[in-house]
Amino acid sequence: MEKTTDTHLYLRINEQDKAALEQLYDRYEKILFSFLYKMLEDRDLAEEVLQEVFIKIWRGKGVYDESKGKFTSWLFRMAQNTAIDLIRKRKKPTVPIEEAAQVASNDAPVAEQVEWQEKKGQIETAVQHLSIEQQKMIDLFYFKGHTHETIADMCDIPLGTVKSRIRLALKKLKTSLHGLQERGAYDD
Amino acid sequence: MTNMDCDRLVDYLNGTLSADEIQQYEHHLKTCTECQEIVEATGELPYLADPVEPPAGMKARILSNVFEEEREQDEPPVALKPEMAAIPMHKPKRKPGLWKPLLAAVLLASLLGNAYAFFQLSDQEDAPETAIESIELEPNEAFEGTATAAMIEEEGSLNLVVQADRLAELEDSQVYQVWLIKDDKPIPAGAFSPNPNGEGASYYQLDESSADWDTIAITLEPQAGNELPEGEVILSAGI
Repeated sequence: MEKTTDTHLYLRINEQDKAALEQLYDRYEKILFSFLYKMLEDRDLAEEVLQEVFIKIWRGKGVYDESKGKFTSWLFRMAQNTAIDLIRKRKKPTVPIEEAAQVASNDAPVAEQVEWQEKKGQIETAVQHLSIEQQKMIDLFYFKGHTHETIADMCDIPLGTVKSRIRLALKKLKTSLHGLQERGAYDD
Repeated sequence: MTNMDCDRLVDYLNGTLSADEIQQYEHHLKTCTECQEIVEATGELPYLADPVEPPAGMKARILSNVFEEEREQDEPPVALKPEMAAIPMHKPKRKPGLWKPLLAAVLLASLLGNAYAFFQLSDQEDAPETAIESIELEPNEAFEGTATAAMIEEEGSLNLVVQADRLAELEDSQVYQVWLIKDDKPIPAGAFSPNPNGEGASYYQLDESSADWDTIAITLEPQAGNELPEGEVILSAGI
């Protein structure tokens, strides 16, 4: 798997290798920042969370090993959880107070852009296979970090079934994503 | 849903489990293919984000804070020898994005103060903390890039780290040269060339003569190694 090098970097970071942390930072700065901006809708907060993520990695809080799956899944989950912590601490919905997001200029490495766009295309198609309600639940649960109560309210479903419905939505997402990946290039 | 452990998937992804519960769930995860696959699929969701350009100077800010946090832990500072003093100062509690141009002069003054303090203290007993502050440089009218300068104490020496982005490509033997200027007298303080993304960084160890300055500037020089600037100033900050 191509991500072996991420694991190598991670191991070097555990030995307090600053250059390795910088490399990891360079590799994921843009996707993490963009992802956190999508969650928080605020550039300053996104930077704050991104910093917290790298402090956690540097301090060895939260341990990654390959039995936990892909490194990126682990990294993104840590970023997502850190952002949710921040959202819940603030206990108020995020409001876009900053300027509108600048659309990325085309100066990022082409390979990185292409990989991102490919994955984006796949995951977008997979999400479109879900019902509207399921799409909304994933957005509220994953990107907005809402509690089960809020999701029950917003999607108008009984509180007791929120968890199992989210799981079902994620399971369906997984199935359709697998289908797309197996078919390789999917025309979206 | 087959058992209680699978039932915890959503809480796991949502970060609401305790440390013990996370450990239990991760143990379960090793043997449950379905949960594994759902976790992996969820790990693709961030790619739904539209690419957003990170703020200028973010990398320098984050990395210096990350490495600073490390030193603030309670562990004994093994890297610091007793005779190598660090700078006593308030801990800079960073608020991202607040360094607007008007603040630059104030921060620069603070940088200077730190440089003095650093060299005055280095003969005295060691102090436990480390100074890191940073300022934004102002571009000239024709230049679109941005740069951040930061003072970083590391293993007993004081370093000036400059990071710039949106740099134009260089021709031939050109370099971007950093200068520290005191009373119109410039001292070269590091040079860099941009990478393919238009980003560049320099690292320069300050000594007592170079710590005393009132302006920092970046010029585009026809070649590396100039003792005095020949090219035009593209970015600068002064008091």
